[in-house]
Amino acid sequence: MIDTLLAILHMTIFPGGIFALALGFFCKGLDRRVEARLQRRVGPPLIQPWLDAAKLLTKETLIPKTACRAAFLFAPVFGFTGMAVCAAFIPVPGVYSGLSNMGDLLVIFYLLPLPAMALMLGGSASSSPFGALGFSREMLLMLAYETPLLMILLSVAMLVGKNLGAESSGAEFSLLRIVAWQQENGSLGFNPAMIPALLAYLIFLPGTMGVAPFDIAEAETELLEGPLLEYGGPLLALFTVTSALKTFVVLGLGIALFFPGTISSLWPVNLVWFVLKCLALMLLSLTLVKSATGRFRIDQAFRFYVTIPAALALCSLVLAWVM
Amino acid sequence: MAGFLKVLLRNVLEGPSTDPFPLGETFTPERLRGRARVNPELCMGCGICRNSCTAGAINITHMDDGSGYTIAIWQNSCCLCASCRHYCPTGAVSITNDWHGAHPEEEKFNRLEQHTIKYEPCAGCGALMRPVPAALARRLYAANPEIDPEKIRHLCPQCRRREDALRNAGVMSATTTETVAAGELTSAAPTTY
Amino acid sequence: MSLDKTLKKFSVRSPWLFRINAGSCNGCDVELATTACIPRYDVERLGCRYCGSPRHADVVLITGPLTTRVRDRVLRVWHEIPNPKITVAVGICPISGGVFREGYSIDGPIDRYLPVDVNIPGCPPRPQAILEGVVLARSIWLKKLGLEE
Repeated sequence: MIDTLLAILHMTIFPGGIFALALGFFCKGLDRRVEARLQRRVGPPLIQPWLDAAKLLTKETLIPKTACRAAFLFAPVFGFTGMAVCAAFIPVPGVYSGLSNMGDLLVIFYLLPLPAMALMLGGSASSSPFGALGFSREMLLMLAYETPLLMILLSVAMLVGKNLGAESSGAEFSLLRIVAWQQENGSLGFNPAMIPALLAYLIFLPGTMGVAPFDIAEAETELLEGPLLEYGGPLLALFTVTSALKTFVVLGLGIALFFPGTISSLWPVNLVWFVLKCLALMLLSLTLVKSATGRFRIDQAFRFYVTIPAALALCSLVLAWVM
Repeated sequence: MAGFLKVLLRNVLEGPSTDPFPLGETFTPERLRGRARVNPELCMGCGICRNSCTAGAINITHMDDGSGYTIAIWQNSCCLCASCRHYCPTGAVSITNDWHGAHPEEEKFNRLEQHTIKYEPCAGCGALMRPVPAALARRLYAANPEIDPEKIRHLCPQCRRREDALRNAGVMSATTTETVAAGELTSAAPTTY
Repeated sequence: MSLDKTLKKFSVRSPWLFRINAGSCNGCDVELATTACIPRYDVERLGCRYCGSPRHADVVLITGPLTTRVRDRVLRVWHEIPNPKITVAVGICPISGGVFREGYSIDGPIDRYLPVDVNIPGCPPRPQAILEGVVLARSIWLKKLGLEE
């Protein structure tokens, strides 16, 4: 009973729910601001994502006559729930160790594509041809970036599992133990065998977040926001909230996999350190790339993902195997 | 990629190049074409601006009693081509650099540059006409020092012609008014189109 | 202040722009693109964002004199935009017909068919004038929500 209550608290307040949302929205605001600065603009205020969400809540909801009503309304809730649960599995090093102590890496891997699936569901339910196009692109992109992600997770799990030896059976899929092992033996981001995996993860981030150069599914110039085309008002707000939660999840996962080091034994210091690391990761892999590149075509993006990040991740996997 | 990074770094170092408007002041070039203006002192009502206006923004309405006319430029139809300024013989039309045009829908038809201009009687015959602007008259008669531009600008075309004919005949008398009968008032205003 | 009122008050700080070309000569569209894309005029400071879908729009910028061919499409797209929305006529064409007025293929001015809120005259208006119009649209939006600035 207490466990269930605690799990719900973790999903709604910390680290999922409110904390993840605040951090995700802050990341998005900072992202827009920094991008504007990189382009010699002033940019919107930092609270702009909150204002956007507030605005969307006051707008009316229109549902297309030809849409599949239930799926159309259900899709954003589906993605949001998935991400809210997933956020609770993200450990904040030195503050919070994750919801479970076995196999949570696999759970995260299964929950992570949910927002993309929600987009696909909503896009296809909206009965718009642009939604259908966005659906197919989103699916192709997802197939492309999930492959390197799986290999990245496998290589980390393998390396830690091998080093833990008898305690684990081959690969170690518990984030708790992965984080604990790194805190003892040094972060994996500095391990030469894991550097290709880290690079692959950095390339994976813009794809999964759907930002340039991989904003192919929501391309607003050619596909008019693709799957989100028919969404407006509170439903769209739910999508932006989901996207903010997903930002937290992928950044937090990156921190947990590669840089879970702590600098103090006090939890507030560790929390601030975690937030700073998240922001640094975001600025490096999302903002900088976004403001410097255009958009890939879907076939280019697919070929890119199944070659370069996949090759990098495979490299790490092999290194983790032989070392 | 490295080239891009260099550009990005330079952008960050140089800081935003954003104009403070609408939160602050902006710059306005001297020769920016904005609102059109009519100087009622100079306007003769010849209608060349109306004929040359591409967008049909200029309208000239003559009063029913022939005592004057109304010239109106509707800013919401003006395409800022400045043809009116170019063709205006007296320089009555000018284009200011006032670009503050945004207005709510209720004010749509209030955005007029409108002047009602009255005719004046001719100094010779008393017919209703617009006097030639002083500056223009001075320029027109600069080569003829024997003509007083101040005087001739208040004459209607017909009286001017008479004056000219008399002068050419060697009779340097002033305008004789007794030839015009009191009841024969004719209007020298441009004909209604 | 109630939650609803607070949300509404904050909502005007995020006007998402959507543009409809109703047969424009593209002059005004170029100015809109300038306003959106050039760092000097940075429309994002006001919280604006150009969006691709009419469902996301708050402020509709209409350019062009509404030609007969495009009329029904413009009306259809305009009705796709969820309320509350602010319609802004950019350039003299949608306001009065401009140089195209009374042409055989012109159905405008646009306020014959749509309730326009803000007019930005000019051929084309300069980017600062468009920014001014967006600021005016924000205050009209507040009025529409029942809140005075």
